[in-house]
Amino acid sequence: MVNRYVLAASIIVCGFSAWADNHTAGASTDSADAPVTEPEVDLSAAEKIFKKSCRACHGNKAQGAASYPNLSDLEPAYIVEMLERYRSGERIGPNSILMIQNAKKLSDQEIASLSVYVTTAFD
Amino acid sequence: MISTRSFSKFSIVASLLAGAAVISSPAFSQSGMNTTSLQHEVVLDGLDNPWDMAFLDDGTMLFTEKCKGLSVLMPDGTVNALYGVGETEGYPSNGADLFCEGQAGMMGVAFDPDFDANRRIYVYSTSNMSDPHTNRLMRFTLNEDFTGVSDRTDIVDDVPYKMAASNHPFGGPGAHNGGRVRFGPDGALWLTTGDNHNSEIPQSPTLMGSKVLRMDTDGNAHPDNSPPEGFDPRTYTYGHRNVQGIAFHPETGAAITAEHGPWHSDEITILENGGNAGWDPRPNMAGRGDCPDDYCGYTPNQEEGMNRYERAASMPMTDFDTYPDAMPPIWNNNGWSQGTSSAAFLKGESWGDWDGAMVVGIMGIGFGGTPIGQRIDVIQFNDDNNDVEDVTEMTLPMEPGRFRSLVMGPDGSLYTAIDEGTISKLTPGS
Repeated sequence: MVNRYVLAASIIVCGFSAWADNHTAGASTDSADAPVTEPEVDLSAAEKIFKKSCRACHGNKAQGAASYPNLSDLEPAYIVEMLERYRSGERIGPNSILMIQNAKKLSDQEIASLSVYVTTAFD
Repeated sequence: MISTRSFSKFSIVASLLAGAAVISSPAFSQSGMNTTSLQHEVVLDGLDNPWDMAFLDDGTMLFTEKCKGLSVLMPDGTVNALYGVGETEGYPSNGADLFCEGQAGMMGVAFDPDFDANRRIYVYSTSNMSDPHTNRLMRFTLNEDFTGVSDRTDIVDDVPYKMAASNHPFGGPGAHNGGRVRFGPDGALWLTTGDNHNSEIPQSPTLMGSKVLRMDTDGNAHPDNSPPEGFDPRTYTYGHRNVQGIAFHPETGAAITAEHGPWHSDEITILENGGNAGWDPRPNMAGRGDCPDDYCGYTPNQEEGMNRYERAASMPMTDFDTYPDAMPPIWNNNGWSQGTSSAAFLKGESWGDWDGAMVVGIMGIGFGGTPIGQRIDVIQFNDDNNDVEDVTEMTLPMEPGRFRSLVMGPDGSLYTAIDEGTISKLTPGS
């Protein structure tokens, strides 16, 4: 299980970095030269956030419920991308108000941790 | 197929209490004013949004999954798929016109009271057979060995469906379909519907959303329905928001609904024949101005949380100022809206003081300052059975979930379906 976490963490860091690369491609040269910091994954903290802010909609195993999608089958990088977009206030679908309110409180590390937690904790 | 899990959360205390109960009154398991000892069994797990169940006396259980279809659990534990949604695989026959979207899909289900003689069952589902699409109440014949259905007849084909997204919370297509199907003690067939985020529907005399319909098994209006002049005669009550719970009082026979509130005020209402539930989210009335996409249901602030009483003053669930004769709710969830979705009456001495009490299933996600509310509330009525006397949160012997359906089984257990994919049964006793 630990190995899976490490693997998933690697995937998410890669995914996050890839997204960050794309994101900065159109930015100024100043920001393009800035170092990319890989957020550390804290699964314990992610579990607390999941139980407080995610479980009630997405289910106690992130399996999805009603119109709230399954998260456990998604790729960590995709979850990072979506949480980043919600955090920025972007509306994506009918549950955007819910997601924007929850995502706007998250740090980069918390997003990275959550993305690993929901995709590995319920196997 | 049926798996059993024993819960020992309160094992020592429960054992002591159980021992005392055996000595004093073995049939009564309730051990105090606000608690009960319950056993929990997982009946089916890994389902896709189970929405409703219906039982025969031998324990045969029909159940729906919102995006998959109708199946039956036999007393020996065998599950037979019966009728699929759209192209869903694994069903002996499918409704090609059926589909799921957002809150819509296959919802309520019921056995005919005369099933032994006529083999009829009833299922409510979203269909694209019409354009715009509608929700339909279908009647089927279930074959003798419970392996297939035939003779589909759409006895109601005109319950509105929300075709396009709108600028509202949870504003995707398919919102607010109601969806519960039940037979009353009068032998009539009852169907609950919702407002589709369309402000014209609730008070409309002819659009069949936001209504409670009472019909015969061919879909004809019950002859005793008495809606206002000009209304569709199938209408028993109107002016609802989104009724997903209906049950009938075991002593009075009254139809009682449990209904989602609009970010405030879930309601339980004892229905009155021809009554108006008082939901009217139209713009430019009752002191309101324009509203997003002509639907004021989430005003005055649909972007974030605010005081629920301020919300209720601006956009009441039951608008007594405009409709003084509206049916008064007997419970409003302390002003909160937490997705009250289903209702049933407990039956049997094993439920102790709760025998004859109403239970409501609640699905609250904890949004915009509203507490999470995933629970079952026990509603006890007064001696006149016309008001709520006490409300108790059931102590659950398992993890909570979004309680979409509550149904009393023929074995005296309460069966629950949660959106997360599990049908359970709760049995008094330890």
